[in-house]
Amino acid sequence: MKFHICIKQVPDITAPISIRNGELVFETDRVVLDAYSASAVEESLVLTEKHGGETSIISIGPDKVKETIRKALAMGAEKATHIKTDENASLDSSVFARLLAAYFEKNPDYEVILLGKQAQDTDAGLTGSMLAEKMNLSYATNAVGLEYDESANKMIVTRQGDAGQEVIALQIPCLITCSNDMNDPRIPNLRGIMQSKKKPVEEISPDDLGYPSDKLQQLASTEITGYEPMPERQPGKKLEGEPVELAKQLVDLLQNEAKVL
Amino acid sequence: MSTILTYVAVSNGKLKRSSLEVLSHCRELAKVNGYKSEAVIIDSNASRFAEQVAKYGPDTVYVIEHPIFRDHMNQPLLDALEMVVKQSNPMLTAFASTEAVKDVLGALAMRLDAKALPDVASFELKDGAVESLRPIMAAKLMARTKVVGDRMLVSVRSGSYDVSESEIQPEIKKLDFTYNENALKMELRDIITSSGGGVDLAEAPVVVSGGRGIKDEAGKKMVHDLADLMGGAVGASRAVTESGLFPATAQIGQTGKVVSPQIYFAVGISGAIQHVAGMSNSKVIVAINKDPEAPIFDIATYGLVGDLYKILPPLIEEVKKAQS
Repeated sequence: MKFHICIKQVPDITAPISIRNGELVFETDRVVLDAYSASAVEESLVLTEKHGGETSIISIGPDKVKETIRKALAMGAEKATHIKTDENASLDSSVFARLLAAYFEKNPDYEVILLGKQAQDTDAGLTGSMLAEKMNLSYATNAVGLEYDESANKMIVTRQGDAGQEVIALQIPCLITCSNDMNDPRIPNLRGIMQSKKKPVEEISPDDLGYPSDKLQQLASTEITGYEPMPERQPGKKLEGEPVELAKQLVDLLQNEAKVL
Repeated sequence: MSTILTYVAVSNGKLKRSSLEVLSHCRELAKVNGYKSEAVIIDSNASRFAEQVAKYGPDTVYVIEHPIFRDHMNQPLLDALEMVVKQSNPMLTAFASTEAVKDVLGALAMRLDAKALPDVASFELKDGAVESLRPIMAAKLMARTKVVGDRMLVSVRSGSYDVSESEIQPEIKKLDFTYNENALKMELRDIITSSGGGVDLAEAPVVVSGGRGIKDEAGKKMVHDLADLMGGAVGASRAVTESGLFPATAQIGQTGKVVSPQIYFAVGISGAIQHVAGMSNSKVIVAINKDPEAPIFDIATYGLVGDLYKILPPLIEEVKKAQS
């Protein structure tokens, strides 16, 4: 089975982020492999170890994205394509989906395409289904489990729905977006890291895909005009004491003060 | 005249509260801007709900009824949404940000060449643009994000707006929807519901959530007992869904579900920012934690400092007394 994993590089969101003069300021300039993307890579590696096949990586972004591509190769992916864009271009889901669709149109040897269900920086969750629609592929989002049914040649997706988990069989080719609840992505070992340096990374430009680099940003459909801190909830009453007393006080407050009981 | 269309979702035979929040907000936006407010119900029993939707004041209610909508599948839902958008021709289509909507929003935007704002905490109309606030960077901050166009989509986080009624006699338009099931490239094989009988966590009036402080089945049972007693649903933090003590379906937070119940119990949950992003719209937050410095106390309406294993048993008794 040929898996293509579209991965994203994101700022390290575990580090402090502040807003200064309307711009985001990151305490470190560390960039990492998006956690949802990492789960997609891991899932492909598990499935190809079991059923055979190949894991190819695709990523869009400036030169430094290569660092993140190497990480995925060190985890065990075989090869990668880097769609290189300008350093300062602010691209959104619709641009990513169009570039990826154009890539797959030129390279139609795909069978299963995996992405993260959203990315840790924007939390938008649009690119996967946009790409599926653009390519007219059947798809499932928010997968927490994935299996390959060899006899039926179908992908069996367990996805997190509103009132339970939905088990869906998808004809191949198909596209699936992965939750970080799917697995624990492996940490590359030294051997993997050494090997990753020899693995092929093809660099292409948006122009090669029919999208002039200098006009890419105009395709973006959303504009960020500023940032704000999360609205804060005011702390209420903090109660300490004996458990039985605490329980009585709480029920009294819920009944007579908050009036929700 | 411009139109705002709201998709009203149905779950367990009821209109979803989160959809009604969005419909209420859109009706007011339409009023202020001199637009029409319309609604659409897509369900296997859609006609049954048309009258109920009327209470929330849309000028038109579109009804798309077909057995295929008994369970969620993205292909037919996309086709139905495309159909109603072409009929209603709205400048803005609004949704509650449910898992089903997250599944189709990007595809719908691509199909309709529309501009999408997913999972917003609030939005306004300004000179033909939609301006929203969206939590980003794992809910560390909000981005003021804008789209401009004649076809826009927005999905709204649960609990962002209040439900308000404004009854009128809407025009009810039934749209003929046919679907060839053989054309489906997917097959729904099963729906696995965890304990709670498939209660939609996002709709529950009370949510009792367990976190790292819950160490074992006995602790988990008390969480379930309190939830059952209050007619609520059970949630969990990522720590305990990862450990396997609670099912992944129960996870609340930026990567899980967003809930906004009347009462949210955070039991043994420290209050990491990613978890708070999924519950901070709750009306009343009750925190039970033995660490008085836990960040959950910064946002709790009522914080109980102490051992949850000692507090939950008398609390369950007191709630029983209060109910009798």
